[in-house]
Amino acid sequence: MTERTKRRAASQWAVAWRRFRRNRSGLIGTSIVTFFLLVAILSPFIAPYPPRSYQPLYDGAAGQSPSWQHPFGVEVSGIDVFSEVIHGTRNDLYVGLSAAILTMILGIIIGALGGYVKGLVSDVVLGVTQIFFVIPTLLLILLFARIFLQLVFKGFGLTLIVLILSFFGWSGVAFVVRGETLRVREMDFVQAAKSLGASSSRLLFRHIVPNILSPVIVITSLNIAGFILTEVVVSFLGFGDANTTTWGLLLNEGFSYIRTDWWVALFPGLTVVFSVLGFNLMGDGLSDALNPRLRE
Amino acid sequence: MANQLLEVSNLRTYFFTEAGVVKAVDDISLSVEEGKTIGLVGESGSGKSVTAQSVLRIVPRPGRVVGGTIKFDGEELLKKSEAEMRKMRGAKMAIVFQDPTTSLNPLYTVEKQLTDILLLHKQLTKNQATAAALKLLEKVGISEPTSRLKAYPHELSGGMKQRVAIARALSCNPKLLFADEPTTNLDVTIQAQVLDLLKQLQKEFGMTMVMITHDMGIVADMTERVTVLYAGKVMEDADTVTLFTEPKHPYTEALLKAVPSVAQTRALEVIPGNIPNLIDPPTGCVFHPRCKYAKEICMKQDPQWEKVSDNHYVACHRWRELKLETRS
Repeated sequence: MTERTKRRAASQWAVAWRRFRRNRSGLIGTSIVTFFLLVAILSPFIAPYPPRSYQPLYDGAAGQSPSWQHPFGVEVSGIDVFSEVIHGTRNDLYVGLSAAILTMILGIIIGALGGYVKGLVSDVVLGVTQIFFVIPTLLLILLFARIFLQLVFKGFGLTLIVLILSFFGWSGVAFVVRGETLRVREMDFVQAAKSLGASSSRLLFRHIVPNILSPVIVITSLNIAGFILTEVVVSFLGFGDANTTTWGLLLNEGFSYIRTDWWVALFPGLTVVFSVLGFNLMGDGLSDALNPRLRE
Repeated sequence: MANQLLEVSNLRTYFFTEAGVVKAVDDISLSVEEGKTIGLVGESGSGKSVTAQSVLRIVPRPGRVVGGTIKFDGEELLKKSEAEMRKMRGAKMAIVFQDPTTSLNPLYTVEKQLTDILLLHKQLTKNQATAAALKLLEKVGISEPTSRLKAYPHELSGGMKQRVAIARALSCNPKLLFADEPTTNLDVTIQAQVLDLLKQLQKEFGMTMVMITHDMGIVADMTERVTVLYAGKVMEDADTVTLFTEPKHPYTEALLKAVPSVAQTRALEVIPGNIPNLIDPPTGCVFHPRCKYAKEICMKQDPQWEKVSDNHYVACHRWRELKLETRS
């Protein structure tokens, strides 16, 4: 053993991290994601105007095209588009990240149960997962959003969207987790752990689940992009929380003036494209790093 | 008779598959004297491993023990609850698997693999467990044990992995150790080392060992008594010397003749055919389709379990008349 290899951490995560660092598209994606995360965290400090502020209207800037003062232009109603995109970043990332994490947790619990507990539980889980997999979720998301947004308190609109997206979005993770659990549970080291006195929950959460996290992490990072897009669609169609700035809401507002005030729709649209691109590139990079055998 | 640590009687373990019921273990009886090493011999699919899994009660689904009794250290294992069994596994009996590359969890360090089970069964602090793990690594002959503690399985060679797996199985001083073809996946040179290690550890720990193998060389080297299995049934049971010098079952004879030998120039004799389909086993003696001595009666009647001498039993209709060859 040389000095060099001695110092290198050898856990599977450390190895995957080293592989990830050499992955160019993964790094580009991570840079984009980091940029958006910073914007989201710092949004109150870097946005020139507070959310939904009509200040530019009083400054006589309503409907202005992009300028140094208003880089993304101003809406006809007098809202600064640049500030709104920044505030939207925070809200859209909140939706994307929370929904992805929530679906990951739901998917792991449901999928692992379905793969580990045999018999009726397994059949029921598989059936329910399949139902959620094939139902036209967008229509139901719109329907649920329209119904429940009337009922929740102001300020909880986004959280409600997160819950609705997660409720309809966990099946993909659950499918993969179930399949992987079925595969890993038959592995020798699980049988070995059992032969040494490990309980079922120990087998499941210490030996099986940690060994199936790689695909779950990849799916979750891709899910973030998916949930952001879905939120954009929901808001663009006018089914979102109209009191909270999101990219979709800006697209919705800009859509009406696309011939004259093109900037109101263009900049939020580009932002959506870049953020989704970033999360997808990062997910691909993670996929290459965590499942190197799947490459090509 | 000396103290029997393990007594398996009329064990039946079936697998309820969609194609039908696979009788992987069908009426197997055997006993293991405390402190001794017995061999469980047979081809793949003869029920060796399933017998071990049945004793530990870790038969994977859709398999299930459907009958028989398993007495271990005076207690009936099949009557125990899962929680009681869990306390025994690893603490009173353990198993070493065939392939060390797959029987160690790839995500955890050697230290974790060892301390996990120590902490599970013994009242130890973390530091005590680590110290115990270190001692175990020394016992199984791993060089640089301190730095190996931090190693992951994929950083170790096959032989070292199997040593770690052995250390893990022995960590709580089990009375009974199943070694399920522990050297099949290792290089020949490493095989001898691991077998020697097992022999030495058995003496040191005063363990009783059940050696599961298809290698008659290992049987001769390691065991004091042998149970020969075929298609889920016991064919012959004798002490090792007797089995090698006076086999009474044609299957035992065939196994012995299938061992290559440097001294002999004759072609290796193989056993024709394959192990039968256990969903629909042959009538009469399960070995008759492949037995060169088979007669009318072998196809029709199940052979009785007959006593040849003290400590030597056989299940064959014709053992009295047959003059079986032994390897010379």
